[in-house]
Amino acid sequence: MIILSNGKTQEFAQRSDDTETLWVRLNELPDATGWSMKPQGACLGDLCVPLPEHKREEWIADADDWVWFNYSEFAEMLGQKYVRDGDVWSLGSIPEVRRMGLESAVAPDFEVTDRNGDTLRLSDFRGHKVVLFTWSSW
Amino acid sequence: MAQDSGGPGAVDKWFDRAKPTYRCVVDPTHEISSLFGWVNVPSAAWIDEDGQIVRSNEGVYPAETTIGFGLGKVRMGDDSFAVATRDWIERGADSEHVWTSRELAERLKPVDDDRLMAEATFKLALHFEAMGDSERALRHFGAAQDLAPDNWNYQRQGWTHKGTAYATWKILRRTSDMRKSTDESFYDPTGLPGENFRRYVEPEWFWTPAVRRVKQLVRR
Repeated sequence: MIILSNGKTQEFAQRSDDTETLWVRLNELPDATGWSMKPQGACLGDLCVPLPEHKREEWIADADDWVWFNYSEFAEMLGQKYVRDGDVWSLGSIPEVRRMGLESAVAPDFEVTDRNGDTLRLSDFRGHKVVLFTWSSW
Repeated sequence: MAQDSGGPGAVDKWFDRAKPTYRCVVDPTHEISSLFGWVNVPSAAWIDEDGQIVRSNEGVYPAETTIGFGLGKVRMGDDSFAVATRDWIERGADSEHVWTSRELAERLKPVDDDRLMAEATFKLALHFEAMGDSERALRHFGAAQDLAPDNWNYQRQGWTHKGTAYATWKILRRTSDMRKSTDESFYDPTGLPGENFRRYVEPEWFWTPAVRRVKQLVRR
């Protein structure tokens, strides 16, 4: 299956017995979604979300000789919107991350490629003033 | 930052013509607008040395703008944003144009569930467009446009999938419809001194005087 998330398009393994749910292998969770599993819960940067105790066994399950995480239900708990067509899943923004960004007014970091093919991150420009300006051909 | 699903092929000629001295990037999946909550181009943000947003505006049109894929030049804005930007670059936090924390809180607002769903749907449409699956791309562009009708990035990029002539026609028609309405606007005013804020962003075509003269002659 293909997951569109955080500006990336990546292919991941799919749980063979349930293709209607977005199950992500636990070891691929950080690449696929940005979240990683820690003792305190699922964490994304400074944000950690405890998993509901009664859901833990349901959301983390063994299948196909791998450990899988039920990202569909986790996303619904977060209020993160997602949409699927065939084997392509597109994940929207995480409301809590947006809220934290708005509250702090810290510019969200991103990675883009410039015209020379060099990768730029906004955070590379710390210590400088930055003017971002968007335009398009349309 | 060129925000265009066509990638470098769609935007390089504009970059070449502008001969920019600043860093130029292409953002084919509209990630930066998603992150900053922008709904149209041109949009802009000022970010200080500590990575803090100190201003974020939509509709920062210059005095002269090329629209309709180079079809024509129009007067829609002014140079107030450029003047203010120079002032901020020189004076930093002392610039009167830097937003206060209260202004930031008022201007940087969360988006609702429909718009969050629209964002995921629009990204799906861009994926299928890149894969050459036009049928599925159009279906998801349409769904994103319905969920977020005020997001001009979704409207204009989606229309462009059907070709430049179709997109230009749709843009002009939607603009014309909006001019008839009294309660819609593309953007909030920037609030900058000298701003020529047009609530309906009515374009004034450079050839309008010539067209008017031709119409008068035809009527005679």
